[in-house]
Amino acid sequence: MKSLLTRLGLAAALLLGSVSGVRAADPKLVVAFLPKSKGNAYFISCKAGADKAAKELGIELLFDGPTDSNAAKQNEIVENWITLGVDAIAVAAENKEGISTALRKAQKQGIKVVTYDADSMPDARSFFVNQATPEGIGQTLMDEAARLLKAEGEFAMITASLTAANQREWQKHIEARLKEKYPKMKLVAVRPCDDLKDKAQSEATALMSANPNLKLIMAICSPGVPGAAEAVKQAGKTGKVKVVGLGLPNENKRYVHEGVTDSVILWNTGDLGYLTIHAAVSLAKGTLKPGAKSYTAGKLGSFTIAGDNILLGKPFIFNKGNIDQFNF
Amino acid sequence: MSSSQPRNWKALLLSHEMLLLYVLIAEWLFFYFAGTTVNRRGVTVGFGTVDRQFDILRHSCEIGLLALALTPVIITAGIDLSVGSLLGLCAILFGKFWKDAGLPIPVAAFLALGCGALGGGLNAALITSLRLPPLIITLGTYSLFRGLAEAITRGAVTYTDFPAGFLFVGQERWLGLPTQAWLFFGVAAAVWLLVHRTTFGRSFRTIGFAPEGARYAGLPVERRVAMVYILAGLIAALAAIIYTARLGQAKADAGTGYELFAITAVVLGGTSIFGGTGSVHGTLLGVAAIAVLKNGLACLPAVMRLNAAEDMSGLLTGALLLLALTGSVLPKLLSSWRAHRPAPAPSAPSPNPQPSP
Amino acid sequence: MNRYFRELSVVGALGAVLIAMAVFAPAFYQPQPLLSLLTREAPTLVVACGMALVIICRQIDISVGSMFSVVSVCAGLLAARGWPLLLVLPVAMLLGALLGAFNGFLVAGLRLPSIVVTLATMVALRQGLNMVRQGEFVNMPDAVQWFGLSQSAGQWLMVAIALALLVALGLAMRHVAAGRFVYAVGTDAEAARLAGIQPQLVTFLVFVFIGAFTGLAAMMNIVQSPQVQPLSGMGLELKVIAAVVVGGVAISGGRGNLWGAFAGLLLLACVAPALTHLHIEAYWEKAIQGGIILLAVVADGVRSRKQN
Repeated sequence: MKSLLTRLGLAAALLLGSVSGVRAADPKLVVAFLPKSKGNAYFISCKAGADKAAKELGIELLFDGPTDSNAAKQNEIVENWITLGVDAIAVAAENKEGISTALRKAQKQGIKVVTYDADSMPDARSFFVNQATPEGIGQTLMDEAARLLKAEGEFAMITASLTAANQREWQKHIEARLKEKYPKMKLVAVRPCDDLKDKAQSEATALMSANPNLKLIMAICSPGVPGAAEAVKQAGKTGKVKVVGLGLPNENKRYVHEGVTDSVILWNTGDLGYLTIHAAVSLAKGTLKPGAKSYTAGKLGSFTIAGDNILLGKPFIFNKGNIDQFNF
Repeated sequence: MSSSQPRNWKALLLSHEMLLLYVLIAEWLFFYFAGTTVNRRGVTVGFGTVDRQFDILRHSCEIGLLALALTPVIITAGIDLSVGSLLGLCAILFGKFWKDAGLPIPVAAFLALGCGALGGGLNAALITSLRLPPLIITLGTYSLFRGLAEAITRGAVTYTDFPAGFLFVGQERWLGLPTQAWLFFGVAAAVWLLVHRTTFGRSFRTIGFAPEGARYAGLPVERRVAMVYILAGLIAALAAIIYTARLGQAKADAGTGYELFAITAVVLGGTSIFGGTGSVHGTLLGVAAIAVLKNGLACLPAVMRLNAAEDMSGLLTGALLLLALTGSVLPKLLSSWRAHRPAPAPSAPSPNPQPSP
Repeated sequence: MNRYFRELSVVGALGAVLIAMAVFAPAFYQPQPLLSLLTREAPTLVVACGMALVIICRQIDISVGSMFSVVSVCAGLLAARGWPLLLVLPVAMLLGALLGAFNGFLVAGLRLPSIVVTLATMVALRQGLNMVRQGEFVNMPDAVQWFGLSQSAGQWLMVAIALALLVALGLAMRHVAAGRFVYAVGTDAEAARLAGIQPQLVTFLVFVFIGAFTGLAAMMNIVQSPQVQPLSGMGLELKVIAAVVVGGVAISGGRGNLWGAFAGLLLLACVAPALTHLHIEAYWEKAIQGGIILLAVVADGVRSRKQN
């Protein structure tokens, strides 16, 4: 028993020693990077860019997030980072108001905050790295759908869940664009897929048989696009029912080449992560200040700042011609 | 297992609750030493700071309340899978009463508590009047309550912009502690008194141990069991209000998955899932053990570099639960093997004993 | 007649839904989409068969969804490395059986409550998988899809496998001694022991079975599309348990059969497509499913009250 205790003590001492040793020789800036959910390929590709920036800038990057999209857990993780005394926090907010209480607390302690992907309340962060406004995404998706259908016919939508904030936001702008510009198009149904590809496939199958005049399925969550495409392919309706959506090139390449999915819309997620980390580090170092009009991020060059939004640029449309050039 | 009358010191020191307390202390000390560091600016950060400890307390209140709600339920050999969904439904209703109906916060809170009791009452009515298994009834209401929350808000509505006075409950400190901790401790004390110091509460164990026996002994079993589920609903509604105050928003997905952590805490705390034994202080220790593990891991530099704090805490909670269970049945199991095999060689029992008649 | 009243009432409810669909949404009855629907539910049926065994034995297994994900990802990775599917299939079933055996050992060997044991393994497996895979899709070669058959042949094969398993197991539960043992143990383990049955062994084996079935189901799911999502199988446990219980298998063990579970699964599987076909908005789905479960269980309770 005694030897066990000594051994335990030794182990603890070693652990402590190693920890303080690392810290003493390690005056690196620490930046924490919070996704909406960790298991999501979208955020993993963002992290790839963030890792690249961290390596370039010689900082330490922390990455953690809820395993499911859970607003309460996001707050807990941010509060943990506050007590860890990180230098900057970059957040993709699952819920605007919910996360802002934790972020304000972080700012009060002198931690710099930027948001990316989905914004918090404006007073809870310094900058929002805006990959494309919800309006821009909604319009691009709707315009692309209208182009494919020649602005006429029925279409259906597959979302992640009925409660996800960003999905609601995009849906709202898609519907607004529809009403404003395409009176001959009709949105016949919106079905959730719980971020599950398998469920998206089942839902798309039912949508097609329930709506014989359906011309297009629009999936606005990334697992939904390959799920819908597989359903269309299995129903033998390739080309008759078109598929567009927000998704990652790698998950959709095979369907785009087969002609099932017409186009996938997304921004360059790697660049989003890269730009976010650069901005967070510059903020922490004091080289980026509120009120700046433009920002230069390493290899990517200069970006416009509109108000307190750093603009990544327009969403990108991947199709048969260009999708192989991207690997994320 | 319950410590109402410890036969001697040794039994007390080796009781489930005490063992859990040792684990908790060891856990805490480990994280205190391994999870506290001095950062670049020379400030002490991490697990060993007072702020962190208060955060842990703050984050544990809702799951802790649900665990308190579930303790009497499980002692009576029941289960309630619907508490997390009921939390979501009550949060939505609370937001609706306040924002859409324009009621003052206290009235809205009071009504939300009433709705929680009604939700618990639905469980209670189905379980006791028809003598149906609680597992399956509450599996049904688990879907039903969450579904209602989504249907009421059409999934879209999020209630926000609560007044600062209300947010104080969830985000500020009062008399040195996070405000909601006072509520949590108050409920904990009340449930403890109910279960351990009233004849009413002591009957839960009788009911859980042998419901038929309790019936013959003249206990109003149905009425007591119904009370337990209504109480669970009421506490879930209180957790909903605290949740809303902490996040500053009420949304249909509030409390998703909380039931699993709450059940884990109760069972880890030594309450038998078959009913009949258990204690409220055990549950509190269970909640603390899980909360410290979860938050402590997130402070360990090694875990942080692996980006795995969230996943690892789930993995370890599962493992901890299995260990606690195995530990709790081992003595009983050994003695039952001995009883079945009075012949020589009592050692090295097979893992899958097939006692012959 | 009375003996199968419970099962017949589920079949009746299913019939009513199907007739309602024929009247209000005849588009539901198109051969290809219907076959697709059945194919999508075939893996679920296989898991439901296992779950029926477990619940009849008076146990429960809520780790099937996590087991399903783990086996899916492992099998997908092997297939992506070019392993022939005929080799991957037994490996997947074996892996499932091993995971089931672990649950079975804890439940039957150490006599721990199955709901808590499988709760723990559910959380641990899910989070462990998350930690290792971080949610990344597994891309498999095209040849994997439908076991290399044509699509319609593949779809019929899936349905045939699931139905064959259902029929074989359904008959075995009634006519083979081992099947009766499960009922005996679920009704009264002590009486079963006195009758010479080894209740712990039977309990252990039903967990091995559900594990192997989950492995098979995972295989049947991954061949339906060329990509595996690590989240696949999330929430499967609740779907399957609900189907089995709606189908009249008593959660208190010893009562019910696989035919009822089959009808229950079809009934619940109809909800989502039916809502789509009837153009009812999606946010009612969960509430309706919960309502069906409660209705089925309450009907059980009322009936057993009347009998007593």
